[in-house]
Amino acid sequence: MNQYETRELCNAFFDAYENGRLDVLERVLADDCIISHNVFGRETTKQDNLTKYPDSYVGQRRRTYNDRIVNTFDDGFVIQYTLNGVQYTLNGVMHTGHKGALWICIVARCRDGRITRIDEYMDSSKFAAWTGPPRRAADGGPR
Amino acid sequence: MTSADTEHRRLCHTLFDAIEQGDIAAVETCYAPEMTMWFNVSGQTTTREQNLAALVAGKELHRRRTYNDRVIHTFEDGFVAQYSLNVVARDGTKVTLWACLVGEVHDGRIVKLMEYLDAGKFKPPRGKAAAT
Repeated sequence: MNQYETRELCNAFFDAYENGRLDVLERVLADDCIISHNVFGRETTKQDNLTKYPDSYVGQRRRTYNDRIVNTFDDGFVIQYTLNGVQYTLNGVMHTGHKGALWICIVARCRDGRITRIDEYMDSSKFAAWTGPPRRAADGGPR
Repeated sequence: MTSADTEHRRLCHTLFDAIEQGDIAAVETCYAPEMTMWFNVSGQTTTREQNLAALVAGKELHRRRTYNDRVIHTFEDGFVAQYSLNVVARDGTKVTLWACLVGEVHDGRIVKLMEYLDAGKFKPPRGKAAAT
């Protein structure tokens, strides 16, 4: 893969995440792709991620991957970006409109037009600010 | 492999080795005069002088700090290093962080560093273990 193909793959991956295109994610991730998170200290599989994708969006109205800085190397890329999200309550009525942002860096390895490994680096101490104040159910109780 | 690849790798290793050994003079040689550093934990950009001062302060806090398992990739004007940062504090407490450092290089010196790590790992454990 040349650097242009690698950049295209990188943006296709993030656009798909942004737009909920599981079909594209299925295509751009190699079947044996491994995803590693510095926060959890463990690796997950492609299938783990595709299965849990809907859960990761719970409580979020919108999620965008902005300020993308992409650099490519022989067999992969590094992308630095700002993950912006707008949260909403699960009952779909009391939208808090809270906006949160995380600064994240991903290093990915690629082969034959697909991503074979993702290492994600973020700061878990920002999670509370990212999700905002606790959501409340329609009856005012905690959720 | 290009010469830039080799030079960037060497520069990256020189930086980590110098920080490990507390050799601030050697760190200085890696940095361009206008060097800045951005940190995902604070969201702030600091100057070369502020960074060097922080490294000196870190020496006082930590008995040992090693940058292990280094995986380095280079590109035309920089590098990305993934590593395990093993810290031993003066009280013997050990902490391991999985971190990532992106560096921009001009004329053989680092002009910008961007570090990503999980500051949540610095917190003492509360109650039962986190669900990881």
